[in-house]
Amino acid sequence: MNRLYMFMAAALALILALPLWLDKYTLGIFVMIFYYAYLGQSWNVLTGYTGHISLGHALYVGIGAYTSTFLAQTWGISPWIGMLAGGLLSMTVALCMGYLGFRFGLRGVYFVILTIGFAEITRLIVSHIEALGSFSGIFLDFNPSFINFQFRGNMPYYYISLGFMVVSMIVVRLIETSRLGRFMIATREDEDAAEALGVNTFKYSMIAIAISAFMTALAGTFYANYIFYLHPATLFGMALSIELIMRPIIGGMGTVLGPVIGSFILTPLSEISRAYFAKGGLEGLHLILYGILAILVVLFMPRGIIVYLKGASQWIFNSADKK
Amino acid sequence: MNADLALQLGIQGLLTGGIYGLIGLGLSLIFGVMGVINFAHGQMIVMGMYVSFWILTLFGIDPYLSLMVVAAVIFALGYLVQSTIVNRIIDYPEAMQVVPLVSLGLILENMALLFWGPDHRSPETALGLDAIRVGSATIDVSRLMAFGLAILFTLCIFLFLKKSNLGKSIRAAADNRTGAILVGIKVNRINNISFALGAATTGAAGALLLPLMPVTPHLGHDFTLIAFVVVILGGMGNLLGALFGGLILGLAESLSALWLPATMKHLVSFGILVVIMLFKPHGLFGGKR
Amino acid sequence: MGLFFWVRVVAVVSQFLVLAKLTSTCNMEGGFMMDRKDQNVKGMNRRTFIKVSGAAGLGLSLTSFGVPTLLRAEPAPIKIGSVQPATGPLAMIGQGQRRGNLLAAEYINSMGGIKSMDGAKLKLLLGDSESKPEVGRQEADRLIKEGAVMLTGPFQSGVAMAIATLCEQRQVPFVMDVAALDAITRKGYKYTFRVFITAKGLVGGAVKYLKMVTKEKKVMPKRAVVTNTADAFGKGMSGGFIKFLGKSGLPIEIVERIQYPLGIHDLSAEVARIKAAKPDIIFPVSRPGDSVILTRELYKQRVELMGIFCPGSPGWYEPEVIKDLGDLILYVLINVPWINPSSPVYKQANKAFLKAYGKYLDTNSAYAYTGVLVLADALERAGSTKPEALLKALHKTYYKDPPVLGGPVQFNERGDNIGAMTGLIQVQPDPDPLKRVKIVAPKEFAQSDKIVFPAPQLWERG
Repeated sequence: MNRLYMFMAAALALILALPLWLDKYTLGIFVMIFYYAYLGQSWNVLTGYTGHISLGHALYVGIGAYTSTFLAQTWGISPWIGMLAGGLLSMTVALCMGYLGFRFGLRGVYFVILTIGFAEITRLIVSHIEALGSFSGIFLDFNPSFINFQFRGNMPYYYISLGFMVVSMIVVRLIETSRLGRFMIATREDEDAAEALGVNTFKYSMIAIAISAFMTALAGTFYANYIFYLHPATLFGMALSIELIMRPIIGGMGTVLGPVIGSFILTPLSEISRAYFAKGGLEGLHLILYGILAILVVLFMPRGIIVYLKGASQWIFNSADKK
Repeated sequence: MNADLALQLGIQGLLTGGIYGLIGLGLSLIFGVMGVINFAHGQMIVMGMYVSFWILTLFGIDPYLSLMVVAAVIFALGYLVQSTIVNRIIDYPEAMQVVPLVSLGLILENMALLFWGPDHRSPETALGLDAIRVGSATIDVSRLMAFGLAILFTLCIFLFLKKSNLGKSIRAAADNRTGAILVGIKVNRINNISFALGAATTGAAGALLLPLMPVTPHLGHDFTLIAFVVVILGGMGNLLGALFGGLILGLAESLSALWLPATMKHLVSFGILVVIMLFKPHGLFGGKR
Repeated sequence: MGLFFWVRVVAVVSQFLVLAKLTSTCNMEGGFMMDRKDQNVKGMNRRTFIKVSGAAGLGLSLTSFGVPTLLRAEPAPIKIGSVQPATGPLAMIGQGQRRGNLLAAEYINSMGGIKSMDGAKLKLLLGDSESKPEVGRQEADRLIKEGAVMLTGPFQSGVAMAIATLCEQRQVPFVMDVAALDAITRKGYKYTFRVFITAKGLVGGAVKYLKMVTKEKKVMPKRAVVTNTADAFGKGMSGGFIKFLGKSGLPIEIVERIQYPLGIHDLSAEVARIKAAKPDIIFPVSRPGDSVILTRELYKQRVELMGIFCPGSPGWYEPEVIKDLGDLILYVLINVPWINPSSPVYKQANKAFLKAYGKYLDTNSAYAYTGVLVLADALERAGSTKPEALLKALHKTYYKDPPVLGGPVQFNERGDNIGAMTGLIQVQPDPDPLKRVKIVAPKEFAQSDKIVFPAPQLWERG
């Protein structure tokens, strides 16, 4: 385990130094890698550890993005503070939904549909609020400064998103090794058995959804100040919900490294396939290839890539021990 | 309130509801037997639309006549998908099942884009513009056809599952997989057939939708979402439930036009969905858990 | 902690570096990358090349080893980028625009390239926004990295906003070919220009032509229904139109405004409401797809109308729509920044488009075409690919005789094209379905001297 930490420290040092060599576009790819790894990690807290599948996490991204932007545009509150407000708001919404879902004992598919339903309802409500730009969405002003969470180059975005990802990994690791984490995992493995042993599965599911929603909402603020355009369909839509669960699933759910590895593989993959194949005359080919690869990974690595990487790293470390 | 308008909206809601039921039918069947949510459902409907579109354009055969051919083609597609992908993931945790099927949807959608282009295609069909006028109300013939055939299909499949030997095996496999294996049912084959059957109904739905709306590769998402709501409303795996779920939804959405803007239509359907889920978590008519 | 362990770690890390390098060098030319600065250096000679590549270090220079640099006799092509929604829900329009961009670049090259820069050829780099803002931004960034000195695109106002901000960050001029929402050029961005007409200009044209038609035909519709798709463009357009119509003094009352989601596939309930409102005229702001559903539903439910007048939106002039709707689309009046059929550039472009894709060049593709022509013109006058020089040249743009209606392309201080204007077109019977769309106003461009209004009812034709 120590070696794993050392390896990760080395990797982190490398990643911290990377902007010295990379151009802005490649930095942009890394920003997307970190962003999706962070989103995947946030989702992982709920689904990976307690087993309640959410297909409506876009809801929290949207709440985060809209809250901080609304506060910044209306009262000039810095997005750094608005980010926390968005987190708290989305936590509240998640707790309401979680209360309904967990109290009424919705599991599996039914919980999935409940999360989709909440995201869609919120999307439609936001689409009808004039103060939030309704269907037109919100166009953000570009005033680069640290207070405004807006920057000219990609470098600050790189380090902020990296920070998000690293902190989320630490948080999830802390949860995983704590009592809370063990109870969450017990909930995932067998809710009835855990309940019979005296674990308050309702309580731990609620805690998990609250943490997950809070974390996800912070990414929304990042998105808003990176892309500068908010639209209900892109921020609350099911496409984003699906996009953000692909990486942790492919990397390995219920692990700290899974979402990160998934993102490091899938994000460049989609980027490269688009760059090579999205040429005139072959529109759509890159998405077909992306889909085929995703299917193959799941078919042949059903427990996530991380399991196989573990095998590979054991090979490295074991043979090192033999020396 | 305008009585003529209410009558018109009621008729249309009912007819649209039948179509919604048809859209949900395949999803419900597949879930009922295998417990898999087919996230590529909408894209399969679009495939059905394209197949009937090409039959119409190349051979001049109307969608109502090519219905069975379209169903057969999509049956084959479903069989292929089931035997290559879904059979392998059937025992995965539910979250893992999402990725391959979502990816399949992405592949189907972009194949349509790559091969047939992005254009909205909506050729004129034989009955496409016909309507029956009863007093002040208008009944759209192509919608009426879709409505009638939706009910017919649902009943046929319902009876097939109830009465035929194959249908009984399918139900046995759905109720208790291990038990079915023990009594000598080839569960894999049964799975292939039921997925393909579910796919065939989506294909037929596609053919019936062609006269009603232009086909374009990107239509699938909305169909999947509608199918979810319909099926949850009626109870996952409950075929007649899906039909009733569709009718309720169609009526509610259509009548909401009396008071609400069209952009809030889906708010009504999702609102109904959430409320019903909380009080009857497994659908109005009971469904598989 | 044996030596062997560290060797393996180094191996893994270097693999990672190679991966990072691969990601950073992938581009349309399949791995060949040049820095943006380098490619301004014309005819870099062999010695400097060796020096540069030597300095870049052994490992990394392998991937950027550029054979074309050595063999090149003519000046390096100038790269410009086009980001369009080639996949996703707006792919139909996006691909049309991409084709317009491509044909225009081909045209410039066939005319001898950019003459002020030794006849350098244009090379159009293609990006696909997948109809999503974040993808559009990332694609634009990639094209900039691959050496695009200017960008064009992207049809959707939301994506335009994301790219405009990126271009401000990267200081690369961005000439939008199509994107109508006013807000994009109201942010005070220095690097953003728009060839397309603003939503305000579009709405102004609609009211002007509506006045003209009602005056000329001496009929006045009293009750009107406005429909629009619930997206940024639809809402902005129809809202602006209603406001302008209110101020115009025309005695037309909007009895119902119906908004429906983008990509709707059933308008029966909405048309039932339209029918109940008993309008004389409908003003639809639509997209391809819902225009077809709307028209057929109006037919089926027998809604009696003087006509359909589109204040400016796609869905009524595309070859596919004209073909599919047959007689039902006849006599629809559309206010749109249309093509200029008498412009020689248009004639040439339309011929090439028809030959390549079997369709006529409609307004979006034509504006995409114009976008690239304006870029080429700026390059010609700047004689350089430096952003400052290009900005200066763009501000002084006076591009005569574009393939679209209106005066010369000129940008005001916001970057909006003050030459852009709309025309009124009507679909009229013609044995050749590709020739059914006719300009009826302004008179100097008119292809048909009669306007049919009120139109025969939808079910009383042929």
